[in-house]
Amino acid sequence: MTRTRTAPWWFALPALTLFAFVVLIPSARGVYYAFTDWDGLDPAFTLIGLDNFTAITDDPDALQAVWHTLLIAVAITVIQNGIGLLLALGVNSAIKSRNFLRVLLFAPAVVTPIVTAYLWRNLLGPDGAVNSLLALFCIAGKNWLGDPDLALWMIVLVVVWQFAGYSMVIFVAGLQSVPKEIYEAAAIDGSGPVRRFWSIVRPLLAPAITINLMLSIIGGIKLFDQVYALTGGGPGHATDTISTLIYKDAFTLGEFGYSIALAVVLTIIVAIASAGQYTVLSRNERAAS
Amino acid sequence: MRKVLAAVAVVSLLTACSSGTNSASSSGGDNQTLTIASVDQGSIEKVVDAFKAANPGVTINLSTSGADQYQQQIRTQLASGTAPDVMTVWPGNGNPGATYVIAKPGYLLDLSDQPWAGQLPDAFKKVAQYEGKTYNAVFGLNGIGAVYNDEALTKSGLTAPGTWTELLTFCKAAAGKGTPAFALGIQDNWVTQIALYALTATTVYGADKDFDTKLAAGQTTFAGSAWTTAMAKYQEMNTAGCFQKDPLGTSYESSQTLAATGKTLGIIQGNWIIGLLKGKNPNGKFTMKALPATDNAAEFVMPAAAGAGYGVNAKAKNSELALKFITFVMSPEGMKIFNEAQGSLPTLPDAGSAVDPGLAELSTFVKDNRTVPFMDQLWPNAKVQQTMLSGLQEVFSDQATAADVLKDMDTDYKAGS
Repeated sequence: MTRTRTAPWWFALPALTLFAFVVLIPSARGVYYAFTDWDGLDPAFTLIGLDNFTAITDDPDALQAVWHTLLIAVAITVIQNGIGLLLALGVNSAIKSRNFLRVLLFAPAVVTPIVTAYLWRNLLGPDGAVNSLLALFCIAGKNWLGDPDLALWMIVLVVVWQFAGYSMVIFVAGLQSVPKEIYEAAAIDGSGPVRRFWSIVRPLLAPAITINLMLSIIGGIKLFDQVYALTGGGPGHATDTISTLIYKDAFTLGEFGYSIALAVVLTIIVAIASAGQYTVLSRNERAAS
Repeated sequence: MRKVLAAVAVVSLLTACSSGTNSASSSGGDNQTLTIASVDQGSIEKVVDAFKAANPGVTINLSTSGADQYQQQIRTQLASGTAPDVMTVWPGNGNPGATYVIAKPGYLLDLSDQPWAGQLPDAFKKVAQYEGKTYNAVFGLNGIGAVYNDEALTKSGLTAPGTWTELLTFCKAAAGKGTPAFALGIQDNWVTQIALYALTATTVYGADKDFDTKLAAGQTTFAGSAWTTAMAKYQEMNTAGCFQKDPLGTSYESSQTLAATGKTLGIIQGNWIIGLLKGKNPNGKFTMKALPATDNAAEFVMPAAAGAGYGVNAKAKNSELALKFITFVMSPEGMKIFNEAQGSLPTLPDAGSAVDPGLAELSTFVKDNRTVPFMDQLWPNAKVQQTMLSGLQEVFSDQATAADVLKDMDTDYKAGS
């Protein structure tokens, strides 16, 4: 009995105090500036109420950035986890050199995103490796990062290339918790690989799916480094996300109040997306177990 | 073992603390330490060395960074009272680190009583001052033009064009030979403005020296002026094949490689590009000429403006030494070191630095008063320029028309400061 008793709440006090001073209070103080016209420099600024927030709804660049952000987040979540799961199933089978493959596939995730982004910026350049490779097969190269219709998808491609292996590792861990006996029993009973995946592996993989989806959707919504290094939000505003806009509005234009208002909007989007997703997925998890 | 590690950790923490407080007190206490933040990587170091040699016993804490990062960092430091004594400040207005922007809330020391402040030519005074007081020690002058790779030009058998018509013919001939006329790396959006400035200098300011005053007074607009002509000419250059393929996918860095190695015959850029091109091709020779924007060479004007200079923190821990450093920067000796390392021209007539032979035409234009400051230096806010930069990328990728962009610039201009 005594073992399950919960610890007194004040045990958490030291950690909470630290959290409050390092995260909560600074954040709250930051949010205050979303209601001002502070330019990041001048100590004299005025409270302007909700003006920054109404300005966001009138700003075509901001609305476009919100759309890009959601598009990127959904695309990354679907494609990265789809590929990650396929890779995990592959390297979890009895093939040779699977340990080597796991390391190889995970390797890109270890590199700093900014480095991979610069690497790909060169590979995808007009005379870069990708176009040179296509030329070998007599295929006309494309202006991958300079074409507004392609650039956004190139960002998705680079992120997926880097982090599919990361999703894979989490899926592999989940797959290893699937008991061999159940799997073999089902095989003996005559169910095929698809059926076995759907009825046995998928439900047991639910926690791994929850974690992977959460991480990729939050990462996708907050995406900054790769966008900034690959396209800088361009051409024009064709690949601007909320994060790149926050950066530009604050540090290039000196509109700190407006940029903090955008950051507040971003925070709300992340909170809604992750809370919603968590509720749905944990319900599924409970249903599966 | 664990105890040993813990002890090591504690000791290192303690020493870290104590060294921190020491350095803080030394920079605050004695009069021999100066802190400088700069974007002049590669040239400020030489000036600092010379200053230290002339002032034995002086310690200088120098930090350098790229312009984007610097602008972000300096604003944070100024707002939180941790800014260095001497710092890079851009002339005029229109960017987050510009004189007007930083002087307005009172972060800069008034330098009006410095001897050089009165000697600055009027064109520079305008951008070094805010409300009639001088805040910015502008030491160098930069210009924009067509920079040719002499070797590639000779090899192509073509000669640098002297008129707008010749320019279009030149572009077609160069493209026909497989070496396009100019490298254009507008994946980095600031590069988009350079060729446009080279064209507006002649088409807008050549025809009307008072354009800026009229614009400020609301008597003219971007969309209703010769800016439309300049925009049209920029696009005409693009369709005539003046630039290599896919400029929007080409970075500033890649464009330098193209021009330095002769894959294009040249590049439209500022004079600072010559040093960078020589870095990629040490044996290369590069010559800057005015970019022809009309058929009458006599009316050509080149964009030329004060480059980033130095300001003194109004709350400098060591303003005496800071002023001494500024005086050195503006002395013939300091100015010579700076401008030779940057490949720029001195702002004061008596500095006597050796001008790169490739910049002879630019110096002639400066001497003949046939220059106009970079257009953005007198714009009321940073947004006009940013709208122009992303707008030009949109024009090049058919997401917007030139008229749209100029109209948006008018809207941002009218929003004021």
